[in-house]
Amino acid sequence: MSWITAQDTSWSSLLARHPALAPGYQAFYRSLWRDGGLDRRVLECCRLRIAAIHDCDAEWRVRDPAVILSSAEQAALRHGECGPFPPAQRAALQLAERMPFDHHGMEDAEVTAAREHFGAAGTVQLLLALAFFDATCRMKLVSGVAPIPAPSGSNGPP
Amino acid sequence: MSTRPRLPSAVPGEPESLGSVLAHTPEVLAGFFELYGTFWQLGAVDPALKEMTRLRNARITDCGY
Repeated sequence: MSWITAQDTSWSSLLARHPALAPGYQAFYRSLWRDGGLDRRVLECCRLRIAAIHDCDAEWRVRDPAVILSSAEQAALRHGECGPFPPAQRAALQLAERMPFDHHGMEDAEVTAAREHFGAAGTVQLLLALAFFDATCRMKLVSGVAPIPAPSGSNGPP
Repeated sequence: MSTRPRLPSAVPGEPESLGSVLAHTPEVLAGFFELYGTFWQLGAVDPALKEMTRLRNARITDCGY
């Protein structure tokens, strides 16, 4: 249960407490999934990896219905293993691994590898998405929202 | 951490900055600055307090930018 109020058990209900903020937040989040040309699968894997790093159940339980991940892939994301994933996803996951607690350790070669796969626009999309996934996990953990998947579009990938 | 920009400016003639790099993704750019503007202009938290928390976060994350 969220410490804010007894009624604020979901991420959506918390956002709704700031009516002026919620539409902009949702619009920005949607843009991260659309603008830059990245495959949704890349973003979804990174989002889940960051959720696993933070041990954020409220974010981990949210799933993009457009991306099907095998149980082996989910387990790999949970434990930080890159084996099941193709080179492009591994390059993205390497950056995702750094973002929450090792952003200063991110190396030029790692960003270059991402640019080789995704181009400048895709890498911009990816880096900003990683930062936002990280911030979302922190906010969900701090606010104590329940790990309850919400209707599509209101709590997860649009 | 790199001391050189890792991504180019998307705006010809402009050096690398948050805005010129985000310009590679126009929809993201527009959404980001609209959301950022909302954070600062609206709400119950005093702007001075927001600024203090912004600077404190920059210090904690060691972000000189």
